[in-house]
Amino acid sequence: MSGEQTFFERNYFLLRRLHSLSGIVPIGMFLIMHLTTNSSVVWGAINSRELHDTAMDRGVATFQHEVSFINNLPLLLLIEIFGLWLPIAFHAIFGVYFAMSGSNNVARYAYQGNKRYALQRLTGYVGFVFILYHVATLRWGWSWLTPGGTQWSHYFASSTLAAALKGSGGEWSFAGVIVSLGYFVGVTSLVFHFANGLWTAAITWGLTVSEKSQQQWGRVCAALGAGVMLAGWSALFGFVFLVDHDRAVAVEEQMVVEKYGPEYLEKLREKYDLEPEMQASAIRDAADRPYPGPAPKLDD
Amino acid sequence: MSNTATNGQPSSAAPVPTRTVTFRIKRCDGPGQPTRWEDFKVPVVPSSNVISCLNWIAEHPVTASGQQTTPVVWDCSCLEEVCGACTMVINGKARQSCSCLIDQEAPREGDVITLEPMSKFPVVRDLWVDRQRLFKGLEKIKAWVPIDGTYNLGAGPKEEPDDQQMRYTLSTCMSCGCCLEACPQYHKEEQEADWENAFVGAAVLSQARLFNAHPNGKVLEGERLDALLGVGGVNDCGNAQNCVKVCPKEIPLTESIAAIGRAATVHAIGRFFRGK
Repeated sequence: MSGEQTFFERNYFLLRRLHSLSGIVPIGMFLIMHLTTNSSVVWGAINSRELHDTAMDRGVATFQHEVSFINNLPLLLLIEIFGLWLPIAFHAIFGVYFAMSGSNNVARYAYQGNKRYALQRLTGYVGFVFILYHVATLRWGWSWLTPGGTQWSHYFASSTLAAALKGSGGEWSFAGVIVSLGYFVGVTSLVFHFANGLWTAAITWGLTVSEKSQQQWGRVCAALGAGVMLAGWSALFGFVFLVDHDRAVAVEEQMVVEKYGPEYLEKLREKYDLEPEMQASAIRDAADRPYPGPAPKLDD
Repeated sequence: MSNTATNGQPSSAAPVPTRTVTFRIKRCDGPGQPTRWEDFKVPVVPSSNVISCLNWIAEHPVTASGQQTTPVVWDCSCLEEVCGACTMVINGKARQSCSCLIDQEAPREGDVITLEPMSKFPVVRDLWVDRQRLFKGLEKIKAWVPIDGTYNLGAGPKEEPDDQQMRYTLSTCMSCGCCLEACPQYHKEEQEADWENAFVGAAVLSQARLFNAHPNGKVLEGERLDALLGVGGVNDCGNAQNCVKVCPKEIPLTESIAAIGRAATVHAIGRFFRGK
């Protein structure tokens, strides 16, 4: 080898193995925790010690507890940057670069393994776009990209999430149908990508050498993937079809009052009223009134 | 179908029943030349293979439409599926043309067999490709047992039957290129300068495992793994696992790739802590 190797060439093995590892730790582990947490809106409804009237109220309260716990973690921003955003950016950027060295010959060689190879790359691309949208809208607050302009709030986790998925006030909008379907495709892609990646990582690192061990590990990965998929789908189903927006707001407000007192709720409401979702509904309300109704009032 | 009449006399010289199979062949006059398709109607007798049909075409270089053309060029040597030279893409799948029997591939009158050169290697002419990159890959990983020296090395080490069996299977690789033809990570590179950083492919990885498993060959294990840690090495495998499905010798290529992956993991960690 000549001394003219680039940084990339010199560290190729390390970068490839870091790419493989980062997909499992931290990203894959986070995916499991994230979808388990989200599915608490459903399992909280089935089995919860929260004291609320209806099952879904208990689900909303359980999810709110989980979200509040996470938002009270120390150094959360550092955990996010170094535990999530940078690893995901690394995995995604190198993943796209490596995937571009591949090709698709499924039409000619329609073996199951070849289909999974092609799907792994496709779900990687889909998942990358989905994660960007997901984090930008719900974490970085790019609410202009959500149906109804909803700003997600960790004090009102279920209600604002339902609104960000379906539309303003948790009412279905056309954009909401697209976004909800996009979430279904995105979550499904990412869970497949994780489970299949876990299977191939064992080959890459040399843990599963024999064909039989690869088959056995494949079954473990498929079972794990099915479990995580169930968590992801149930969470999405819960937020889209089961959570009642207005009831959820009531539960969440009650929890804010219990934890921080009524004054804090007033402060949050003021902030909440200034959010684009409220402005958007102000426009909608004005449009519903008979002409020449009063001009819509827009707070600035 | 003109020779099917029998004269009622059982004789070894009795005419053999024949039928006609159409060969659709992708032609190319040389490197960089345009390709074209030509059809040939070939009378086949029972137990014909693709090579015998190509021989017939060489004798009768006339297309199905009656046009005189050049004989189709192909590469072959052993005619018993151990040399790998006659590998081509037959009806869309890479395999050896010598072991491709017409009775199986085109059992009915008028069936069509499509012949193409392998797409991952530079075409020399018609169905003949240049597999030099594959042999360069074997050189890159030092696919040999170093026994030349200045003194007698004495008797070789004792062999375990299990190891011997495993190595025997790997040693049946004939560098035919089927695994590379089917691999979505392996692409045609015309220029030799580009071979260094292009994926070596399953065949070469499996040979690295073979020679690393050899009691004398393993003295070069470190050098073989060093060559496979870089761009174009074992990491470029995408685990599509087509290679093991198409291998005519049924070599467990995916196991070899995983074994090299394991050796590479150990080697790289060792190198990190040794500091060299």
